[in-house]
Amino acid sequence: MDDIEAELGISRSVGNEDFSDSSEDERVARKIRPPILLHSSTAQARAKESGFHESSRLCLKAIRDAMLHHHWQEAAQYLSAYSQTLEDTTVNKQSLACEIIWRLGTEILQHHPNSRLEDFNALYEQMKNSGVKNYAKICLEHSFHLLLNGHIYDAKRQLSVAASWRYGKQSVPQSLDLKLIHAYCGFLDYVIWHMKKSSVSEAEDNSSNREMHSYFRQASVTLQEIIAQPGVWDPFVLSYVDMLEFYNDQEEALKVLQNYAYNKDYPSNPNAHVYLYQFLKRHEAPPAKLISILKVLHHLVPSHELMQEYCYLLVNSVVPGHLEESLPVVFNLLDYPSWKNDLDTWNCLLTVMTVFKRKGLQHLIANEWKQRKDFWLTMHYRAYHGRKDSELNRELLLVKAKVAKLLGEHGKPDHFFKYKLLIIFIFLMF
Amino acid sequence: MDEHLTEGYSEPCKQCGAVSWALSDGCQFFCRNCHNVIEKTQDVVDVSSFILNNKISSISSSSRKKTRREWMVCEGFQFILKLQAEALVGLGVCPQFKTDVLWDFWKRYLQITRQAYTRSPVNSFTNTVVSSEPESAFLSEASDQTEPMSASGHSTDGRSSVCSGSLDAACYLSAKERKSRQLMNMPRTLALCHLALLWLREAITLADLLRLVSRRLIPYINVYEEFPEEMQFYGRDAIIFRVETIPSYRKVHGEALQMAEILQLPAFPPVTSDCLLHPALLSLRYLMEVNLPDELHSLVCRVIEKSAMGKESFLTFNPSKPKSTFLFYDLQAAALIIVTMKLLFKLDDHVACLYVLAGSKMFSLKAWYMTVHPALEHARQREELFEARRPWKSKKVLIPAMKHKAVVLKRRRVVEQLQSTFHTLTGSVPEQQSSSPSSFQFLWGQEEDSDGPSLHHKHLNCMLEKRGKEKWLVNQAYWHTDLKRCHKKDCRDHYSELKHSLPRMYVWLLGLFSFLLRVSEAQVHKEVVEVERRFFGTPAYSLIILNSKKKKKGLKIYPAFVSLLRALEMSGC
Repeated sequence: MDDIEAELGISRSVGNEDFSDSSEDERVARKIRPPILLHSSTAQARAKESGFHESSRLCLKAIRDAMLHHHWQEAAQYLSAYSQTLEDTTVNKQSLACEIIWRLGTEILQHHPNSRLEDFNALYEQMKNSGVKNYAKICLEHSFHLLLNGHIYDAKRQLSVAASWRYGKQSVPQSLDLKLIHAYCGFLDYVIWHMKKSSVSEAEDNSSNREMHSYFRQASVTLQEIIAQPGVWDPFVLSYVDMLEFYNDQEEALKVLQNYAYNKDYPSNPNAHVYLYQFLKRHEAPPAKLISILKVLHHLVPSHELMQEYCYLLVNSVVPGHLEESLPVVFNLLDYPSWKNDLDTWNCLLTVMTVFKRKGLQHLIANEWKQRKDFWLTMHYRAYHGRKDSELNRELLLVKAKVAKLLGEHGKPDHFFKYKLLIIFIFLMF
Repeated sequence: MDEHLTEGYSEPCKQCGAVSWALSDGCQFFCRNCHNVIEKTQDVVDVSSFILNNKISSISSSSRKKTRREWMVCEGFQFILKLQAEALVGLGVCPQFKTDVLWDFWKRYLQITRQAYTRSPVNSFTNTVVSSEPESAFLSEASDQTEPMSASGHSTDGRSSVCSGSLDAACYLSAKERKSRQLMNMPRTLALCHLALLWLREAITLADLLRLVSRRLIPYINVYEEFPEEMQFYGRDAIIFRVETIPSYRKVHGEALQMAEILQLPAFPPVTSDCLLHPALLSLRYLMEVNLPDELHSLVCRVIEKSAMGKESFLTFNPSKPKSTFLFYDLQAAALIIVTMKLLFKLDDHVACLYVLAGSKMFSLKAWYMTVHPALEHARQREELFEARRPWKSKKVLIPAMKHKAVVLKRRRVVEQLQSTFHTLTGSVPEQQSSSPSSFQFLWGQEEDSDGPSLHHKHLNCMLEKRGKEKWLVNQAYWHTDLKRCHKKDCRDHYSELKHSLPRMYVWLLGLFSFLLRVSEAQVHKEVVEVERRFFGTPAYSLIILNSKKKKKGLKIYPAFVSLLRALEMSGC
């Protein structure tokens, strides 16, 4: 939620009341305005400012310097002096002050050695109630903080108070945050349910069981509502599916996951397909189904780690066309530098190529190799790679050599000449 | 009673769990069972219920109404002046400052602006009240013994209660009326103090006064905290008495000039050579401040003599004379020192500094710079951090309008709670040290907390050479910027254009004095140009000026001028 766009958006439009409800796409499309730097001002502006504003400008500068040098004690002192800007009679400066004190205060408290949870709570409560523009954000941050420190019930309470907050015109610009608050309410219900579940399994207690079920009901209602809206809701989907699986409601879970993955209204999200695949794998779906899911994933993210599984599925599949498709998959995978040194991937390639050779499909290998030979040689088969692999991962070196041998039958032998020479030399050495 | 205000809120109380909320005077929610106060305050509702809320809040506070006294804004200013006078007397000014001089000036002001002591006062409903009030308020503690006699007349006049605590704050709001009636404002209180100090020829210059204000040794920021309880203070009063800037030197000087005109003062007591405002003595003080050798003082006195700036007629302020100028005594002294240094050292960045062995008795400009510059930088940083930490808002909350009361009170509470949170975090509270008042901002010597070694005892012999019986200056050249007066009336200064072409050493020197006196470098430079105008104002030189081409910088001095320099012979120093 606190992505760069959002941060810049805040500092960008200082006096701008127009925090309209927008998804991430709309935000990007919004005209980029130059960021307003809070700590530098023109000499002209400085000449006309009052002594009070000069003091606050210098104070902010001192806080910034102290924080950058990690002098937290000093920073705390200056921040307490800076808090007088909350009483500024200039309207836009006063609303800025609320935000500045909130953000700087939490940062200082996080790093200061003497800070306690009560200080955080006090700060969040103060800043929530002074100025309404940031109410939802501060509530979210407060509950995250409590969550990270293990106070799950407190976090839940904070969010439920915040969820029922309405403030006239201000609710509209903050509606996105309010939606998130709602979503996290449901998520926290799930977390509590999970805690209760693990404690209940030891002692068969009826009342705690009933509590657990009530949390489940609350969580599922909220999460269902949230997931029904288009968006990226990975952790919420996972938690909902987890709960449904516990109560053995497979169809509902499947429906949710399929909607999440295939519904056109939702932004394209490879994770959705991953979750669906994992769910189906858990419930032993037929390979054809798995393959169809992974096909979509392959289109989206050719370098995904599940592509190896996909490859093996295709190889072992009985459907006629699938075997031929497996070779481009694994070749595509090795086009990406992240898989360059992965032994399993190379083994996979070796396996596929041997299978193809056995089945007499060398022409396909030749096709693939023709597209790739110019950059593969520099990417995988330079003398430097050979030396490095010999030091770090000798097995990889062996596998790559075997692949090279197989590939060498399709191209000119001198492609790999230097490489082979080097390998022989290394083997002779050791 | 408050159900309809708090009915929207049904959270259980954290301490006792009950749901019965009421609204306190400070517009905060509190639990009726356990009196636990929470942070929630009244939500903003639409206007129609606002009036209802206002009525209720005034009913609940009526039982605690204190004795209210109706007061005029000029009484407030009188109170402030009294506090300022007491502070100054506490700092060492003679007691006549408070009892005679400042009090006389104030009475005169009230009389001339027809706010008091007159048969036909401007404010029609202050007939006999004000004349008895000020005296008792000023000379003794402001007491509530004398109840305003026409109070009954006031209660029918609803002006006092609606928008301000005082009776006539509304008059102070329009700039036109303020100007036409020559009403008082906060910087004018300082201006009056300055005039009174000048009348008594006290050593506290305007720069010192402003520095004392900055150090909170003279009450100025948030003085209204000290107003007695009976003087109810809210609404439009805030705009008059609230201070968010310490006025600049130039502003206070301008106000002092205006006040002198308004008061129609006669000629001030003459500034003689034994008086501490005289440039000879003031420059000695500044020489000590910036760690220059004492031997320089005699040179400065010669420059004063030659530029005829030591004369009483020149130095004394006489408002009745149309052409009399109101001088900047401290700036003048600083400018004299700078001119002397230019004569002695040239200061044009090209003359090689004489290499002087460390520990020798000779004064070296480079050594002096290396000593003073770090101290100056430290002092600047300290000053900046002091400014950053300065508390402007007072604990006594100013409520500009009733509809903002809840918000303002809440903000004050939030600020206090935040400050206490961070104070417990940092441990001890570093109080703003009430520094002991001292005329000097630097300490030179061997002590532990000194800013550097003292160079007061160094000799200047290396800068003077003996030619026959006389001692001449080694440096035979001098440069200055354009000395011609600008004809445009509002032309302030050309410093910003000149700055990049001036020698760095000179600019640094200007920076040093501008830091000491809390003025801008442009003002110091302007004063230097004034001194140079007077110094070079002899007929022989003006002839040279007319003949030569004037450049902005680096005017080469012709041999004819050497005779003038010879006139600066040092005899038997």
